Amino acid sequence: MPKPAELLPGNLELVILKAISLGDVHGYGVLLRIEQISQGAILVQQGALYPALYRLEHQGLIESRWGTSENNRRAKYYCLTELGRQRYSAEKASWRRLTDAISVSLNAKLLEA
Amino acid sequence: MAHFPGWHLLAKGIARCRSLLRGVRRRDDVEAEMYEEFRQHIELRTADLMRTGLARDVAARQARVEFGNMDTHREDARAARGLRTVDQIRFSWLDVKLGLRMIVKHPVLSVTAAFALAVGIPIGIAPAHVARAIKAPLPEDPENRIRGIRLFDPATSNVAGVDYEDFRFWSQQLASYSTLAAFQTSSYNVASEDGRAAPVSGARMTAGAFEILRTVPHLGRPLLRADDEFGAPDVVVLSHALWNARFASDPAIVGRTVRIGRTPHVVVGVMPPDFRFPANEQLWLPLRAKPAGGVHQAIPVRVFGRLADDVTPERAQAEIDASGLPLYAATDETRRRLRPEVVAFGLTFIGLPRGGVEALPEFVFVQLLTLLVLLVACVNVAMLVYARTATRFREMAIRTAIGASRSRIIAQIFVETLVIAVLAAGLGVVAIDWLLRHVNIAALAGEAALPYWLTLGVSRTAVFQALGLAAVSATVAGVIPALRLTRQAVNQSLRERSGIRFGSLTGTLIVADIAISVAAVGLALSIGAKAFDLASTNRLAGIPSSEYLAVEFRMPRDAVSTDGSGDSSQAATQNALIAALLNEATFRRVAVADALPGMEHRSQPFEIDGAPDADDASLEWVRWVHVDPGYFGALDQRVVSGRDFSAGDAEAGRNVVIVNSAFVELRLNGADPIGRRVRFPRASDDSGAEWRTIVGVVGHLGVNMLNAEHGDAVYVPTAVGQMNPLLVGLHVGPSPERAIERVNAVASRVDPSVVVGAPLVLSSIHQGDWYLTLAVAVGLMVMAGVLVLLAASGIYAMLSLSVTERTREIGIRAALGASRQTLVLGILRRSLVQICSGAAIGLPVAARVVYENGGSVVGESSPGMSVLVAVSLAAVVILAVSLFSFSIPTKRVLAIEASEAMRSEG
Repeated sequence: MPKPAELLPGNLELVILKAISLGDVHGYGVLLRIEQISQGAILVQQGALYPALYRLEHQGLIESRWGTSENNRRAKYYCLTELGRQRYSAEKASWRRLTDAISVSLNAKLLEA
Repeated sequence: MAHFPGWHLLAKGIARCRSLLRGVRRRDDVEAEMYEEFRQHIELRTADLMRTGLARDVAARQARVEFGNMDTHREDARAARGLRTVDQIRFSWLDVKLGLRMIVKHPVLSVTAAFALAVGIPIGIAPAHVARAIKAPLPEDPENRIRGIRLFDPATSNVAGVDYEDFRFWSQQLASYSTLAAFQTSSYNVASEDGRAAPVSGARMTAGAFEILRTVPHLGRPLLRADDEFGAPDVVVLSHALWNARFASDPAIVGRTVRIGRTPHVVVGVMPPDFRFPANEQLWLPLRAKPAGGVHQAIPVRVFGRLADDVTPERAQAEIDASGLPLYAATDETRRRLRPEVVAFGLTFIGLPRGGVEALPEFVFVQLLTLLVLLVACVNVAMLVYARTATRFREMAIRTAIGASRSRIIAQIFVETLVIAVLAAGLGVVAIDWLLRHVNIAALAGEAALPYWLTLGVSRTAVFQALGLAAVSATVAGVIPALRLTRQAVNQSLRERSGIRFGSLTGTLIVADIAISVAAVGLALSIGAKAFDLASTNRLAGIPSSEYLAVEFRMPRDAVSTDGSGDSSQAATQNALIAALLNEATFRRVAVADALPGMEHRSQPFEIDGAPDADDASLEWVRWVHVDPGYFGALDQRVVSGRDFSAGDAEAGRNVVIVNSAFVELRLNGADPIGRRVRFPRASDDSGAEWRTIVGVVGHLGVNMLNAEHGDAVYVPTAVGQMNPLLVGLHVGPSPERAIERVNAVASRVDPSVVVGAPLVLSSIHQGDWYLTLAVAVGLMVMAGVLVLLAASGIYAMLSLSVTERTREIGIRAALGASRQTLVLGILRRSLVQICSGAAIGLPVAARVVYENGGSVVGESSPGMSVLVAVSLAAVVILAVSLFSFSIPTKRVLAIEASEAMRSEG
């Protein structure tokens, strides 16, 4: 397993949106799903998760409803809104452009004259 | 999925608002859900850890440690929802209690601040309140469906009289009104059980009026349409008060005959106690007019009606605009110019624009002026709040150090100020309500009583407005000083002194307060003295007014007598009355006019022949009086130039006038007026008015109570029979009251229908000018009082803080041998400079105002003496400010012991 990576500011929301885009999930489930899809490479601080979730909900990107969890307890499930779906697509495209640009820059070699 | 452009912004905005509102309105639910979610998280994590082989308690502990502090997450989560700012400005009951405690702790500053706002807030709401009251529906019309119709003259911006023919025409033409009615008011002599007649105000109304008002009589019936017919029996409906006072609440009054004027009338009904339509009337008679056609006979009326179902006032206006003119108006140039307007009932009485007071161009200015007064009060209160809060500098610094945010402290100071402002608003509203109920407001307008529908008492809307202004005042007076103080509090160390200082703005404010209050004392004194010096204008003119009895004789304005012959005998009755009075030995002289010296004189637009053409500019106005040709002689006045009126001057075609000396000074710049001509057009484009030649000049005859020099007037000779009511000045000699019985006897003998107003000694007449003058003087005194209190409290606050701040310094200086005098002067110096500066500005203004307003401040004293009195009083004000503000701080300085002062600070 690779060493867990530190998330850059603002990227946590993108990862959360990705996790939720895979299906409705409660808060702890978001944490596990991120760990799963990043193959353990991204470890989200539990304290940072809920403010990020509430911020996304406040912005109208996700919405919540109460349901029943796997341990038969009441749990709050999150799902993407239409606005959230669009934002996720836009952010993903933007991220790809950025990573591609950085990769190109890092792989560049000095041309011989 | 396709969306309209910008939908995501809208969706985001809606989501944010919903989230914010939920967080604010359901704070407890939101937090409970948050904790539930956190607990669920920890339980699931615990279960996962247990699956790795950890014991339950170890797993639970580890899950809690991994999750971290729930309260911190909750705070972060609230911040993420945008609720942190809301939390910081959240008020609590504790803030209110602290506010009340601060009032007890700093009573002088708090009461002064409350007093300033208690004056400022009612002034701020007054214009809108008056505007609403005038347009309010009648008490009989809760659905607000009753509207009047009036005629407006666009050329003069005045309301013109409506004629019965207009009413008849509109009754036939307008479908917007379900019922239309006309009325006219007058005074009538009503004979009581013992046969004695006394005047009562009443109204002649078409029967539709009762249908519109829908008031059920207490006894009998209202007037019916059959009563409007010629030949129908003369009937009357009495008010409850009249029935009670004059007929001993006789339950069998209906059907009895009562003599009104000369004519017996059958009582057909008694109205309930509160019914006083249209203004303050006590009896109602049918209004009858000749059938349409024939020679037009002018019958002045007022018209009102109930709008038909679903008809708006705007639709009614559109219909009346399109309805054309009645037949008689087609040949009447003036009437053709007039525009009928559908207005609130009150506006048929008051010559305001159709939109009411708020439609006046001056309204915005007055509203801004009143708000400016409130702003001045707020700025002063801000200074006091600043001083009061500055004493708690250490408390604020400690709170800041242990985590209180700046906005939380600002919010608390705001609430503390709001407590004062709300108390002040309540106090102000209660005081104004009491004043409106107990002060004769009607007298300011020269009336005996306000119309029953004009309720100036404080309404629920006014209370809400006052509370709104209290909140605004608290924002200005609380938040601004709080911002400044918290900035300093955050920047200063706890161990240091506050560093809080009163800046130059505060100093300027104190100087201005003192200067204005000193000047206002002078002005109020001067104006108040004028108001109390009742005989000043008459004394100026040389009229022995204390020897004259002033009596109003009013001929009942019967539109048409019962037989439809018209009231052609009015002139004969009036002539007979004056002749009878002249024949009485009791009355040495009889002056007849439509206004006597010291009374309200009506104004009229006028032009002077040969004056530069004013183009379409608005006309100038002058006071004018219709007088009997013998008027000046009867008042023992001689013309100062030219000639007096002769007996024939009142005849048609003579067209002469006499002007007073103020007119010569003000309108002709002192040039010889004899032979010049004036005329009184109804509008600036009215060229049909006849020119009248000036034949003489008289002195000041009590035209303007406030300033005799500016009471310019024109006297128009008029035959006695053409004036109604007649104002008669009867020269009786000393104690003229003794002749009152004689006046009544003569009037009753000549014609029992002549209504005799309550006779008064001419020198004791209080009319509009007098009340207005007194009100202005009282207002100025209140303003001066508020400013004096504000200035004194400001200085007191400044000095108190200064002593607190400099206790250590004073102690050291005392220990080094500084004298007590030096120490006190060191503290008081700045305030002394401020008080002296204020006095230096205010005293000359006060002296000048008193000097220019004549020497009436102390009886017959000279102007110099008056100035001395005024300046002395103003000096007392300054002394009071100084004593009040200096006494306690000085005592504190003198009580400082060097050793204790050294110990008190670090």
